[in-house]
Amino acid sequence: MPGLPLEGVRILDFTWVVAGPVATRILADHGAEVVKIERKVPPPLGNRKLGLQCDLHRNKVSLALNMAEPRGVEIARRLAAKSDLVMDNFSARVMRSWGMDYESLVAVKPDIICISMSGLGHTGPRSSYVSYGPTLQALAGYTMLMAEADGTPAGYGYSYADMCGGYTGALAALIALWNRKRTGQGQFVDLSQFEAVTAVVGTSLMDISVNNREQKPFGYVSQEAPAAPHGVYRCRARDGDDDRWVAISVRSQPEWDRFVDAIGKPPWADDPKFRTLYLRMRNREELDALISRWTSERSAEDAMATLQRARVAAGVVANGIDICRRDPQLKERGFWPPVSTPGDKTTHVTGIPFKISTGSGTIRSAGPEVGENNEYILGEILGLSRSERDELVKAGIVWP
Amino acid sequence: MSESGALSGLRVLDLSDHRAQLAGRLLADMGADVIKVEPPGGDRARTIGPFVDDQPHRDRSLFFWFYNLNKRSLTLDLTHPRGADLFRQLAKSADVVIESFAPGHLAAMGLGWEELHAINPALILLSIAPFGQTGPYRDFEADDTVLTALSGMLYVNGYPGRAPVRPLGLQAYHSASYFGAIAAMCALFARDKSGQGSWVDLSMQEATAAAVEHVAGSYFENRIAEPRRGTLHWSRFFRVGKCRDGYIMHCTLGDWTSLIEWVKSDGKAGDLIAPEYDQVMHRFLMAEHLFDVLDEWVKDYGRDELLERAQLLRQPYAIVRRPEALFDDEQLGARGFFVEVEHPELGRTFRYPGAPYLFNGTPWRVYRRPPLVGEHTASILRDELGIEATEAAVLAGEGVV
Repeated sequence: MPGLPLEGVRILDFTWVVAGPVATRILADHGAEVVKIERKVPPPLGNRKLGLQCDLHRNKVSLALNMAEPRGVEIARRLAAKSDLVMDNFSARVMRSWGMDYESLVAVKPDIICISMSGLGHTGPRSSYVSYGPTLQALAGYTMLMAEADGTPAGYGYSYADMCGGYTGALAALIALWNRKRTGQGQFVDLSQFEAVTAVVGTSLMDISVNNREQKPFGYVSQEAPAAPHGVYRCRARDGDDDRWVAISVRSQPEWDRFVDAIGKPPWADDPKFRTLYLRMRNREELDALISRWTSERSAEDAMATLQRARVAAGVVANGIDICRRDPQLKERGFWPPVSTPGDKTTHVTGIPFKISTGSGTIRSAGPEVGENNEYILGEILGLSRSERDELVKAGIVWP
Repeated sequence: MSESGALSGLRVLDLSDHRAQLAGRLLADMGADVIKVEPPGGDRARTIGPFVDDQPHRDRSLFFWFYNLNKRSLTLDLTHPRGADLFRQLAKSADVVIESFAPGHLAAMGLGWEELHAINPALILLSIAPFGQTGPYRDFEADDTVLTALSGMLYVNGYPGRAPVRPLGLQAYHSASYFGAIAAMCALFARDKSGQGSWVDLSMQEATAAAVEHVAGSYFENRIAEPRRGTLHWSRFFRVGKCRDGYIMHCTLGDWTSLIEWVKSDGKAGDLIAPEYDQVMHRFLMAEHLFDVLDEWVKDYGRDELLERAQLLRQPYAIVRRPEALFDDEQLGARGFFVEVEHPELGRTFRYPGAPYLFNGTPWRVYRRPPLVGEHTASILRDELGIEATEAAVLAGEGVV
């Protein structure tokens, strides 16, 4: 990893599921050595050489360690003494029961940084609540406010909370490492994934707190600038797939004029009820129906190209095939980098959304199977001899 | 800035617009000195609502407040040669410049990467653009909605056969801003190794695509496009259900035996008592039917009662709440998530969402309320640029500051 920003940083990683692995993945991409400590029988989360699990675990190494045995815990503590950061996403009692909490590890390594990314935090009356990303975003208001017109919740088909938790965790690690570089001091970070996802609800929280205004589902009412048309419009089917849409956003009067030109100056565009932004917003349903007539006669790609040529904000409502295979921008920028997997095969993973001119993060290896790097971790990092390593396997402390 | 902040000693010049202002705020919250450089008259974000008491005014925008807590404000006309000069002078001692102009715009003002790098070789320029600095979409127009569309974030929310549902908040911008703060930190670590600053090219489309949990993985694993499934989570272990008095989130990843014993004791378990349901894989395969049965079970419960009992059994259930409920949430309250921020010019104090993490050594904190337009112009001119009051008055007269 020479030249990468976090080269020389070692992270002992007890995290699992999604949020924690997202955090340590970002750090691993930028050169940190991330040592995963895991059970031999992991949750049934799939193949680490492919797909989401490869995305989450690439660039990491794995040790299959039996933390139910005191000798297993001792190995983990020795690894912690050789690490800069210890990360977990357990409730407070788990790391404490192993003597792996911050207070205990400080005795082993005075400048250690510990980051715990639990669901609701280590303190407070609900700290023992069991949660996952989808339940946290329900508590934070997303599920309810992403609704159909009749108020039926329709929110998030995936766990955005896990991604927020992951980014917040990675940022916390970077900030704590920076502070340590500056002052020589480690510290403990108690990260609540619930708070991480709540923090990005955004300006609605200010509207509630300051104006005491009840929030209603926004639908396609823009939260950044008055706009009409603003929404998604159904387009012509593609290869038999009729779930094709284009998103369009028209804000200013010049944009509206360019939009009208681009769609061929239909007579209805001269109707006084669409003359100003205010009127377009007031008559948006009627406007949307007319625009849908235009979009339904062309592909989402054509609609986007036609409008972008006129400098109107528009984009295909991209599905997985669109983003991973068709989108020319993501392709040109190499956003789905290749990674080799066993048997000389190649798969692709999600890229890193920023490039650093002096050296960007890299994708160096696919996700490790559980225990794939036992030899390296015990031999190279801890300096155990072959006979010592064999004995740990025989004693059931390390799973081969 | 207090020396206690983790990032104290770092100077950030924030030229970004309403799309990327959260990046600088994340750094300011941890002690970086973030100077928001605004055009005379104020940043456009100040025109975006909601406003305090619904009175539009550049110093009453809650949108601006949310994204600019803890920053200082300097008004500076970068299109004026003297304004650009003053910016170059500030850049000499800065660590990071954050910008979100259209690609090429900064260079056209004589403030591009080459110019800034020549002035200060250790400077980091973080450029956050809808599609990044290169590629066929480089100059395309986009707002948050269009970005969520082109990144795959929009398509997977909502019900099949109906229009996709837009995420709450401005999550393309938020994803880009979190990656922006992460990128700034990575570039700072890189600079520590090489002594050289760098130009960071961040694409909002890519940051948003990275924030969609499952879509790319499914494509590369199975060559499929993930569909919309209503509130059935793609993992098939979560779905919204309806109680007597509102919605809850079901979850079938807790201890199955204790859940089904409870449902059985209510006489509502139906065929879920079959032993196959002990297997996670069977619950996965039968998710739609399973949640239909559980919906029948919860419909006569009050949701608070259901939640309390579920959590006692360590079932990861939750209430599907309105965001207003966050302000009465005991857990957030006990941890001090909402913080009071005083606005002396209005004679009022407002509650803001606060720290997403508790650092025990260098805590997140409120250093200052969001700045009024140009609030710190005079002090920055005097203390950072060594400009005397008389010259400052001339600059103001010429509209430079």
